[in-house]
Amino acid sequence: MTGVVVAPMLVALVTAVVTLLLRRRVRTRVVVSVAGGLGYALAVAALCWQVVLAPDAPGIATYQVGDWPAPYGITLVADGLSAFMLAMVATVAVAATVFSARYVPSSERRTFYHPLFHFLLLGVTGSFLTGDLFNLFVWFEVMLMSSYVFVAFYGGPLHTRAAFWYVSLNLVASAVFLVAVGGLYATVGTLNMADMARRLAEPAAYGIDARPTVGLLALLLSVFALKAGLVPFQFWIPTAYRAAPPPVTALLAAASKKVGIYAIVRVSFTVFADAAVVVRLPWIEPTTPLAFVGAVLFVMATGSILVGGLGAIDRDSIEGVLAYSSIGQVGFIAVPVAIAATTTAPELRRFAILAALVYALNHSLAKGLLFLAAGTVRHATGTIYFDGLGGLARHFPTLSGTFLLGALSLVGIPPLSGFFGKFLVFDAAVRADASAVIALLLVGSLLTIAYATRAWNRGFWGARSPAVEDATIDPVQVAVLVALALVILAVGVGFDPIYRFADAAAGAALDAETYVDAVAPRGGESG
Amino acid sequence: MSPNLSIVLLAVGLPFVAAVVTPFLFRVLGEHTGYAGALVALTTFVLLGSQFGADGTVALSWIPTLEVALRFTVDGWALLFALFASGIGVLIFLYSPAYMHGESGLIRYYAALLTFMGSVVGVALAADLIALFLFWELTSLSSFVLIGFYTADDSSQYAARMSMLVTVGGGLFLLVGLLLLASVAGDVLGGSAFDLAAILANADEMQAALRDRGLFVPVLAMIAVGAATKSAQVPVHFWLPNAMAAPTPVSAFLHSATMVKVGVYLLGRLRPLLVSHEWTLLFATLGLATMTICAILAVAATDIKELLAYSTASHLGLMVAGFGFASAVGAEAGVFHLFNHALFKAALFLVAGIVAHEAGTRRIDDLGGLRHDLPVTAAVTTVAALSMAGIPPFNGFYSKELLFEATVEAAHELGTIGWLYPAVAAFASIFTVLYSLRFLGLFFGSRPDELGDVHRPPVTMLLPPALLAAVAAVVSVDPELAVRTIVQSAVDVTATEAHEMHVGLPTSLSPAVGMSAVAIGVGAAAYPSYDRLHRGVRSIPAAVPPIGANWWYDAVVGGLDGASTRVANRVHDGHLRTYATWTFTTTCVLALAGFAAAHVAIPTTVALDVSLAIALVLLVAVVATLAVAIAPTHVTGVLTLSILGFMVAIVYILASAPDLALTQLVVETLVLLIFLLVIEELPTYPGGELATPTVGRDAAVSALVGVTAFLTIVLTTDARPEGATSSARYYVQNAVDEGGGTNVVNVILVDFRGFDTMGELIVVSIAAISVLTLLVMRSRGESE
Repeated sequence: MTGVVVAPMLVALVTAVVTLLLRRRVRTRVVVSVAGGLGYALAVAALCWQVVLAPDAPGIATYQVGDWPAPYGITLVADGLSAFMLAMVATVAVAATVFSARYVPSSERRTFYHPLFHFLLLGVTGSFLTGDLFNLFVWFEVMLMSSYVFVAFYGGPLHTRAAFWYVSLNLVASAVFLVAVGGLYATVGTLNMADMARRLAEPAAYGIDARPTVGLLALLLSVFALKAGLVPFQFWIPTAYRAAPPPVTALLAAASKKVGIYAIVRVSFTVFADAAVVVRLPWIEPTTPLAFVGAVLFVMATGSILVGGLGAIDRDSIEGVLAYSSIGQVGFIAVPVAIAATTTAPELRRFAILAALVYALNHSLAKGLLFLAAGTVRHATGTIYFDGLGGLARHFPTLSGTFLLGALSLVGIPPLSGFFGKFLVFDAAVRADASAVIALLLVGSLLTIAYATRAWNRGFWGARSPAVEDATIDPVQVAVLVALALVILAVGVGFDPIYRFADAAAGAALDAETYVDAVAPRGGESG
Repeated sequence: MSPNLSIVLLAVGLPFVAAVVTPFLFRVLGEHTGYAGALVALTTFVLLGSQFGADGTVALSWIPTLEVALRFTVDGWALLFALFASGIGVLIFLYSPAYMHGESGLIRYYAALLTFMGSVVGVALAADLIALFLFWELTSLSSFVLIGFYTADDSSQYAARMSMLVTVGGGLFLLVGLLLLASVAGDVLGGSAFDLAAILANADEMQAALRDRGLFVPVLAMIAVGAATKSAQVPVHFWLPNAMAAPTPVSAFLHSATMVKVGVYLLGRLRPLLVSHEWTLLFATLGLATMTICAILAVAATDIKELLAYSTASHLGLMVAGFGFASAVGAEAGVFHLFNHALFKAALFLVAGIVAHEAGTRRIDDLGGLRHDLPVTAAVTTVAALSMAGIPPFNGFYSKELLFEATVEAAHELGTIGWLYPAVAAFASIFTVLYSLRFLGLFFGSRPDELGDVHRPPVTMLLPPALLAAVAAVVSVDPELAVRTIVQSAVDVTATEAHEMHVGLPTSLSPAVGMSAVAIGVGAAAYPSYDRLHRGVRSIPAAVPPIGANWWYDAVVGGLDGASTRVANRVHDGHLRTYATWTFTTTCVLALAGFAAAHVAIPTTVALDVSLAIALVLLVAVVATLAVAIAPTHVTGVLTLSILGFMVAIVYILASAPDLALTQLVVETLVLLIFLLVIEELPTYPGGELATPTVGRDAAVSALVGVTAFLTIVLTTDARPEGATSSARYYVQNAVDEGGGTNVVNVILVDFRGFDTMGELIVVSIAAISVLTLLVMRSRGESE
């Protein structure tokens, strides 16, 4: 049971190292990379099945690295939440690996594309699985470094500038993360998240003063918001998403961004949900740190939905639209998280987290598909600027069909996965009786329709441009797109198991007690 | 008789299956795919017909956890609408091959038409809120694809996006309305919150509960937005005339007979649940306003399809108003007019298609006297147009009379102000008569000389409108036949009380008869001055642009485009300085807010037992920091920065951490060297050129960051419990025995927390790779 927890990380690590060693053997390297992607998906599938989905699954499993007991060593924890996130990432990762094999020209292949790709995956996976706050910082760094190379990958002025911004802002976040982790260790006396949850729930028993942790939680929130790309931490997204190779952007949008969301949920709800700290906010009764998180997330989500949605309408390239759309969509994910943090009703809290997870799932699948489709367009026509496109729908109906399906899933047309995301998020707002939130969601959704239709009209309908006329399309790339499109459709049509998986994930995110029991940190009462 | 689940599922599912296999069908059948579509539609029609007389709900579980199911109700109202959708579908598919001859993109055309047909049948039968919404959205989506059929055409794109924004945007409101409804239904019905059949079965309890929760008006408003956008009610009627960019069979099918009626259909379905004073006020007013405004706008039309589009919106208004009135006769007006309108308007659109196809123009002014060229079409048009005008004894007359009766009944109830209803209805009908006569005038009067040869249409194009007109003629002769067959059973579903419906030619003078007489009389009398009226109405939006609805749409959507660029450029202004300012400021403000919210105890006494050496070192560090900020060149900046680094190393030495100090010194030295090596390549230092406000802002941000960092450190170290943590004690106790090392820090790094170290090693390797990658990519001079 415990081996399965660490398996996805091992597969990613081994694949990265082997592809790194196979420098001269281009063909073998690609084969290994694709095999590694599939192996990763299998490892994740095994983990999900054994830990969460099987009839007699325990729901949570841990792995103590080096067999050092928690909280002294580092614990890896796979529970419903981690498993859900991993499954979501694995789906896009397989598609992106296969796509990469056909997309990245051989001259570039000889550099370090494939090892970096799997290192990025490793960082994402480690972030989802670790149960240790400092270790989370480490996997964030792995993720950051490899994605940094990808942003700078093509080496042009645009890419260099994007990479400079990207790395600068992320280094700020890293420094803040370190301050927060150091502060938490100083205050709470542990880095293990289960141990921390336990101590925060009963600070007196451990002889600690938990009050400063709210400020530290706020610092962590900034860091995670920067990873997720929530306003006002979204500055790096428009350029970085356009600069990186499309398969990587697909992974950044589908995985790295979700790491930010995951970390917000994990730290807020698993670690801080029961924290015995009284928080006083203006206009409301004294409350818990979660209310603080909720208030902050509402503001960020509002900004994200408006800036992202508005900004996306009039961009000059497909990837520009998609990048801004990512800012807006992550706002839609943050709204239910904020609802969950604000409400005190356990049922609504669980439902809202579930809604956020389903929305995140759709965003990963749909945005992954759309970025890959943009990659195919670029590969075939040599441009992603609307000026040079037009008439793709007539010329490449299958490619265009998958793009339309992805865009419609973003809009939330049933029975695609996006509908259920939208439906559940709206329902969470309805159940929370929050009319201002409903209004925000309506405005955001209207903006989504506006930019999705505009991008479609400009790129895919219209008179056929010379670039489209002369284009040839890669059938394997299109096959990947079709596969992802079918997944989006299948998630919607066969939504019941997805719903139950997401419900288990939401339950796991909120069940700090089980989490603590599973990790079973040792340690006395004396701090 | 209760409905048969498999037959219902087959009826709904068959068109979707056919849509999926359309590409293969097209490969075999080519342009004849339309006839296969007709067969599919006919099968659906027959399957639905086999359920005739059934009444009840069947369900196929879809998302059991949420209790969402593909529930279908079969009753008079559902069957009426579903039979229309499939029946007219047969005719449209028959008509299409000839009309669409030689077009490319027919796979998309037929697949979308089939999807659409399945969706409308689905909406008609759906008895689950989610399933209803599913099919509702699919009708909007297929409409989008079909309006945009001529993809290279700007007006198609414009209209398609407009219809998507309006109908799918309206759908969002509907979704909220349905969710609000479900949130109440969950409590009232206990579980099965999405079961529309159960909700309607408990209409009174539901309405009471909605009112208790204060949700009645919100639900009504949200559903009204959904229905009004779909059914092109004022002020969002504008998408419908624009939708005429679609091929004419699509206009006949979607944008007159079925899709636009989905909103009206939903109102009829929900009427027993929501009918109330507010309901009447909202929908009677909305419907009559739409009926009037769009009838006037139809007179201003210059294109035959535009005329029919405005007319459709006007008639939809009539149906909405009918359902709006709380009386039984109101429901009768809504249902029966939906029935009649589908017959005559679909026929007229198909006629318009014939005219456009055979005469090569759709401009009203260029057409006339077509009865010589198209005699059968002229006969069809006569029946349909007179029915549209509401001239007795044609079928449109009967349902319009019902509306007039409903308005009069409402006026009696409401008193003086209520007489506005009949007055407006009669006024609108004058324009209906006018434009109907004008359409009929295409076939009569003189034939313009410029009009070239007009060919006879093929039989497959003539047969569908002729059939529709024939049915309309039968209903005209014996309206009670239609009532007995299906209309009465549909009315029973939409009305709150049982009421036996009677229609026929008037035998006595009633207010309603008077209203008809006025409308027809004034309309006929004003017809000779049609051109003057036409020009007059046209001049209004030209003089006052905001009256034209396109103007609002263009202003809003165009405004969004502009706002998009402004927002994007304003927020992402391309200066890292701006981004860093936001990042730093927000982070600091959040942290400070967190500390404040938790009411942390600010330490009032800071222990100042630092040695003189440390104080000196820190002082130098502070001075160096300030010097970095004002350094005039890169070189001095880097050098002063390294002073700061070396001071930190000295602090480590003084704090008895020689290994840390060593690391710090190595890093510091290397960084200094590397900096000095690359500084040559950097552009000249921008220092000194900054504007004062920028410098002030930077200083403020720096101060804020400094304060926050300082406070965070002070607070957390102050909160630190006395003595070593349990982890620290564990490490010290176990380092030698378990870890096999005497240097505890090393054992932590390589053993206790070796996983971190492994991760950091990967980071370092990636850093090395990144350098290599950047160099390789650069030396190759590659770009994307």
